[in-house]
Amino acid sequence: QEGRWQGLYGGLLAAGDPLAMIFLPQERGGNNSFTHEALTLKYKLDNQFELVFVVGFQKILTLTYVDKLIDDVHKEFRDKYRNEFQQKGTLGLLNGTFDFKDDFMRLLRDAEESSKVRAPTVMKTFEQSLKSQKTVKCMIETRGEKPKEKVKNKKNKGSKKEGIEAVTAPGKASAGDKQPSAAGEKEELTKDEILQKNREEFFKRHMKAGEKSRSPKPEAQKEKGKKPRVWDLGNSNAKVLDYSNSATNGSAEACPVEEFDPDIVRKNGPGRLYDLEYESDDEAEEEKVIQNPSKPSAKKGGLGGMFGMLKGLVGSKSLTREDMDPVLEKMQDHLIAKNVAAEIAAQLCESVAKKLEGKVMGTFTTVTSTVKQALQEALVQILQPQRRVDVLRDVMDAQRHRRPYVVTFCGVNGVGKSTNLAKISFWLIENGFSVLIAACDTFRAGAVEQLRTHTRRLNALHPPESHGGRTMVQLYEKGYGKDAAGIAMEAISYARNQGFDVVLVDTAGRMQDNAPLMTALAKLIAVNAPDLVLFVGEALVGNEAVDQLVKFNKALADHSMAQTPRLIDGIVLTKFDTIDDKVGAAISMTYITSKPIVFVGTGQTYCDLRSLNAKAVVAALMKA
Amino acid sequence: MAGTLEPHLEALRRELPAAGPAVLSVLLALLAVAITFLIWRFVQGRRSSRKAVLLLGLCDAGKTLLFARLLTGRYRDTQTSITDSSAVYRVSNDKSANVTLIDLPGHESLRLQFLERFKAAARAIVFVVDSVAFQREVKDVAEFLYQVLVDSTVLKNAPALLIACNKQDVTMAKSAKLIQQQLEKELNTLRVTRSAAPTSLDGSATGSPAQLGKKGKDFDFSQLPMKVEFVECSARGSKGEEGDADFEGLEKWLAKIA
Repeated sequence: QEGRWQGLYGGLLAAGDPLAMIFLPQERGGNNSFTHEALTLKYKLDNQFELVFVVGFQKILTLTYVDKLIDDVHKEFRDKYRNEFQQKGTLGLLNGTFDFKDDFMRLLRDAEESSKVRAPTVMKTFEQSLKSQKTVKCMIETRGEKPKEKVKNKKNKGSKKEGIEAVTAPGKASAGDKQPSAAGEKEELTKDEILQKNREEFFKRHMKAGEKSRSPKPEAQKEKGKKPRVWDLGNSNAKVLDYSNSATNGSAEACPVEEFDPDIVRKNGPGRLYDLEYESDDEAEEEKVIQNPSKPSAKKGGLGGMFGMLKGLVGSKSLTREDMDPVLEKMQDHLIAKNVAAEIAAQLCESVAKKLEGKVMGTFTTVTSTVKQALQEALVQILQPQRRVDVLRDVMDAQRHRRPYVVTFCGVNGVGKSTNLAKISFWLIENGFSVLIAACDTFRAGAVEQLRTHTRRLNALHPPESHGGRTMVQLYEKGYGKDAAGIAMEAISYARNQGFDVVLVDTAGRMQDNAPLMTALAKLIAVNAPDLVLFVGEALVGNEAVDQLVKFNKALADHSMAQTPRLIDGIVLTKFDTIDDKVGAAISMTYITSKPIVFVGTGQTYCDLRSLNAKAVVAALMKA
Repeated sequence: MAGTLEPHLEALRRELPAAGPAVLSVLLALLAVAITFLIWRFVQGRRSSRKAVLLLGLCDAGKTLLFARLLTGRYRDTQTSITDSSAVYRVSNDKSANVTLIDLPGHESLRLQFLERFKAAARAIVFVVDSVAFQREVKDVAEFLYQVLVDSTVLKNAPALLIACNKQDVTMAKSAKLIQQQLEKELNTLRVTRSAAPTSLDGSATGSPAQLGKKGKDFDFSQLPMKVEFVECSARGSKGEEGDADFEGLEKWLAKIA
């Protein structure tokens, strides 16, 4: 057993690093389990003392007691070493020996035992069941009673009354036996018993009525037959239902035509649209009406609420889920209003809740401010990527190795790939690098011409004379309808021969659901192995961003032959000037891919290229 | 200015008695509160004046182990830090001198956030470098170092900087001299590329990033406003886990700083 633990421990240590590095800081702490190679890791956070409890077990096992075990371990560990945490702080943690092994083994044994599968319940023997205790009399079905019993089940009122007399007689007889047995074995009534009991109660209620109507029954039975169903409106004539004013049709006086006032039309001028007239008065009235009933309740809660607020301000209480829920709901709605994708906002709030649960608040901090602070930190963390993409640095590197630096732009239709490609080439030229634009958009009408125009303008801005005689921008195109991957490959080899520093590959826009086009894109990227794959997304996109990125990444991963597939390396966020402060798309995109936003496009001229400022974006996002 | 104050004072003097004793007492109370508040702020500012030594570096550089070794002298198994740890470190010879050692996480998503929080309190910065993986990580190390150096608070306070080349117990470790040369070259390139990057979204806040060193000349650590030293150390120690760590250079430097 020791050997087994050692192996697992080693695996756990190895997995613990990815857990810490990838999982926890990325605010993906929504669900508390995580798989790494052959191990499944479940974790629990203690926010009060800043502890993380991790339980690892083999993925193939499905252990049901893990959650309970981790809770027990958490409680015991915390209680046992509470003093050390509170008093000695960091030095206590470093110096202290935490001899918890025996306690842990004991807890593990308890958890394992409690989860052992219970033996399946033994079926009751006939003697034990209630059926054997019923008298034989009630179970005998005489010929007269049999059809009545059957009729009993139907919902026809008449037949029910008949059936009552049949049952009342045996009912009275067996009532004596039934009562004690029913009372004694209340918990184990089988379904039949319950049915019978219900029937008895129902009949008892109708017994009196039944007895009275016993005599007229036979005649009533014959007369009844099938009664026609009566509709509510069925009897009334069409006349009653006719609400049309008989006078209007055909007569001119019934609906008076409004006086046509030519002055009204002239007032605004011919052809002008009327302005919207706000009916603010009505709305104000409604608000007043709503407010008045709420005022008295506010007053009543005022005193109590104030006291509670003061208590919350001064004391050091720990945060509970209930405290945080209303605030988190509000923050989630706020984020969604700022154009963050709905599921991402939910996940973010969930992970913030997990992070803050049990934390002790300092003095003069409210729940709202703590939650806001934590959410702000989480957002800044998300926007600060794993590795910053420094294009110029990498281009310099590639220059040293005498090969071109290849950047590919991909995205859905109409997000601004060609425009931003032109902006980026302008920026690169300003920094002294020569650019080859590969027109791999062989589908859209005018794509090649658009790029040709950009090339001409850029060359006019940076003529060869001012750069030592070499053309800074050149377009490599092969017309329309050809294979994009082939053109890209030719463009790259042409660039290598001619000594271009950067190759910018423009691809056609494609919907993420379009499988053949996604395959073609994946092929282009897999075959040409670009240095940088940029996904161009517009800032106006809402929940779609999640779908687009996930599907693009999936397509790139699926169709790549390599061990580590080339995925999206960076994001270009375009049309940023069209959103005021609804900057949620930035969050959605970085959350899904964990890749940085490399460029931000803020307009349609060459100078409208920016880099992301995480703090400014988060400030705009949290602004009320 | 006295001229404009006088009529106001006159008006005040006339109004105060008329207002009544209740209002007067309230005003006095408010004044007392304001004064106490100001004193409290002043004292707090004094107390938290920079006494911290930050341990920065990339992931897996050895910051947490160095931290544990400095404080307890014993070896501990460490995990990737996801939050900061701080403790008071007493310099060995001098009983009165002590500094607060703060170990910050090196993970890319966390490092800048924690740096923001603690940079104002920093009296000195120890930048820990993994000497074994340096060749591979040169660009990342330089990038983080660049971010630390161009930070406005750091430039203003100019805390002393020590670049600790850790993991010297491994044979393939690079020497401090080599690391210094490589970093200087890399930072030279970086300051060109970073200043050429597209301006930030709200261009007003950051403006153009600060220029490191002197323009025109190749970057050199001596051009920085703060004192920079390079030292070799090994947190694990050449004798393995039972023995002591080899970081006399680090300890001497800490004694100098405190």
